[in-house]
Amino acid sequence: MTNNKIMRIDLSSFKSEVYEDPKLFGKYLGGTGVATKLLYDMNIKNIDPLSPESPIILAIGPLNGIYPIATKTIAMFKSPLTGNLGESHAGGRLFMSMYDAGLSAIVIAGKSPYPVFIVIKDEEVEFHRAYSIWGQSALATERILHSRAEGVGKRSIIRIGPAGEHKSLMANVSVDTGRHFGRLGLGAVFGSKNLKAVVISGSKRHKTENFAKFNKIYNKIFWDAVKSPAMKKYHNLGTPQNVLPLNKINSLPTRNFSQGFFENAEALSGENMSENYLAQQIACANCPVGCIHLGVLREPFEDNIHYKSFKIPYDYEPIYAMGTNLSISTPEALLKLLYIVERAGWGVMETGVTLSWATEAFERGIIGVKETDGLVLNFGDFETYEKVLYNMWNMKNEFYGDLNNGSAFCAEKYGGKEFAINFGKNGSPGYITGRDAFLGFLMGVRHSHLDSAGYSLDEKIIKGEMSEDPSAEVDLLIKEEEWRFILNSLTICLFARKIYTEDLVLEALDSVGIHRKSEQLKNLSRRIHALKYKIKIDNGFDLDKLEFPEKLYRVQTGRGKMDKGVVRKMISDYTSKIREIIREAEDE
Amino acid sequence: MRKVMRVVNRAQCTGCYSCMYACSRTYFHIATTKLSAMRVKNYPGVEGAFSIRICTGCAHPDCAAACPTEALTVRKDGGVIFHEEKCIHCYKCVEACTLNAMQWDPIAREPLVCHQCGICAEYCPNGVLALVEVEDDE
Ligand code: SF4
Ligand code: SF4
Ligand code: SF4
Repeated sequence: MTNNKIMRIDLSSFKSEVYEDPKLFGKYLGGTGVATKLLYDMNIKNIDPLSPESPIILAIGPLNGIYPIATKTIAMFKSPLTGNLGESHAGGRLFMSMYDAGLSAIVIAGKSPYPVFIVIKDEEVEFHRAYSIWGQSALATERILHSRAEGVGKRSIIRIGPAGEHKSLMANVSVDTGRHFGRLGLGAVFGSKNLKAVVISGSKRHKTENFAKFNKIYNKIFWDAVKSPAMKKYHNLGTPQNVLPLNKINSLPTRNFSQGFFENAEALSGENMSENYLAQQIACANCPVGCIHLGVLREPFEDNIHYKSFKIPYDYEPIYAMGTNLSISTPEALLKLLYIVERAGWGVMETGVTLSWATEAFERGIIGVKETDGLVLNFGDFETYEKVLYNMWNMKNEFYGDLNNGSAFCAEKYGGKEFAINFGKNGSPGYITGRDAFLGFLMGVRHSHLDSAGYSLDEKIIKGEMSEDPSAEVDLLIKEEEWRFILNSLTICLFARKIYTEDLVLEALDSVGIHRKSEQLKNLSRRIHALKYKIKIDNGFDLDKLEFPEKLYRVQTGRGKMDKGVVRKMISDYTSKIREIIREAEDE
Repeated sequence: MRKVMRVVNRAQCTGCYSCMYACSRTYFHIATTKLSAMRVKNYPGVEGAFSIRICTGCAHPDCAAACPTEALTVRKDGGVIFHEEKCIHCYKCVEACTLNAMQWDPIAREPLVCHQCGICAEYCPNGVLALVEVEDDE
């Protein structure tokens, strides 16, 4: 495939165009690189994230559709949750449908005067009225469009639930089955444009440049993935394999990050979930690993004579967010909560962090039954959480409307910032391993655990495989994040990062006619880093006001209590390095 | 005894499409699912159920019976052999296959005929497909 076609869709005029931009793709490869540059050039500084001008960018890279486990699509937007860089990654079939359509990027802007869903078939775009599916859950919407919206090949269906329609700042976009653009509020941007769903398919097939080379590399990746024990783990227990090991090192967030040990971790462990609740595993297209775990929930109805069952995707982060961190101790209760979140279309991590903030705020008397409309919030009280979620879904009162806007918004309005566990306004991922995890969440461009995986540095230090060294730790975080910009420009699933080494990446790129050297990749990732940070800073991300939530300093992390002085120093060290990176890029 | 393809563990399918990629790659040298002689069909929703349609190498193939020009002839070990020069692009073979296993290349307007080679099964990480021995009259 040429790997340089961009489709632009304007929802205000119902028009679209496709054009080529070889220069952009030549320089930024694809995925996060290309999307960052596109967003940067749009100069979104004075744009309200929920206004018609606010763009939605979807991008894939030059290896998608060709090699296994290059399965992600990057979504880039202005985040309504944080006000700055919005970026979220999702798997499923979306990358494949874009590849089949021959589109490397899709940019959607404008606002439809009424609810619509878009059907993209190759370079054609249809706009359909969506009044009848407005209000449908994210799951029902997929079922309906699957039988309603025809395609010209395997389709990918991405859609919002009621949360996105309400412009909940933590609304996600669901992608096919069990994958999501989960973070930073993309669902609200869809909702603000009256965009319920996008269905994509394509009929194209693209010639292989050099078959022998391609075949060799394909087989190497494929069989590495199938045979490697690390990848097997992703298939067997999935990401929930982490529950018990993290609990063991006191790093599993429990009751709003009060401790790293959850007494019922066993019940929510990957082992127990697999043994007793797993219905099946599924995979993103072209991924032999298949890490997506669907749990089954069986519920009686009508005097316990009848049963109904649901399949609900679960992963480590949802288990932390709606499980351990809310002290939910049974898989049944957890799956029920996840089912509501999935249907409503909220990002599960922000939802969990917001509920855990609310519970602690209630305990401390910052909010009361006046706000909650009579509900008493307690950690572990699954039935009340269920009611809270439905009240949020229905926007029952001002408070429940506010909960839709996430933990940072709520803490700002009601108080309790010190225990609203978010970084850069994005709800925390599920690790209390130590300062490197937190530093990664704070300084990573997406405030995601996948930015730089600081928890794995913490784990190494806990295990004694590495010694403490604040300045080296900062450097390692930056190094890891910058390498991941390359993987994310090729939109490789980060679970396959051990397979996609730099040598393999260079070889794979070479096989599709992109000849690069290690040094060039390094320069590109630096540049991407600089651009992302420039977007962040332009849009209000203040390098001088960076803090961990105060509560975390009192918590016993996997690495023990954090020394505030040292952490402060690391943050300032990190920010000066970021400033340096930006300066270097400007000098170029 | 002859060897033909079977779906042996449908419920173990993860929907990864490695099988379809393998088939297209082998016979067309292209990275796509579209040129595969078999299909993994998706069902909507979180239910995540897949249905696999692959030529089972019939001894009395309906597709060949439906072909008006003998572009499909019965293969010794089951299934069919495609004679491209005789194909008049009528689509009757696809319609005749009750399993919906016979695939179609919409660009060449020709059937994608399974060779009963077992390569898709080799690439299935979950043991869903297999080349199995069956009795001659089966
Ligand atoms: S490892 Fe999991 S998330 Fe990654 S591509 Fe495979 S199925 Fe998708
Ligand atoms: S048996 Fe061979 S020809 Fe038939 S579907 Fe599988 S890979 Fe294709
Ligand atoms: S390779 Fe196996 S698991 Fe993957 S889609 Fe094909 S039959 Fe299903």
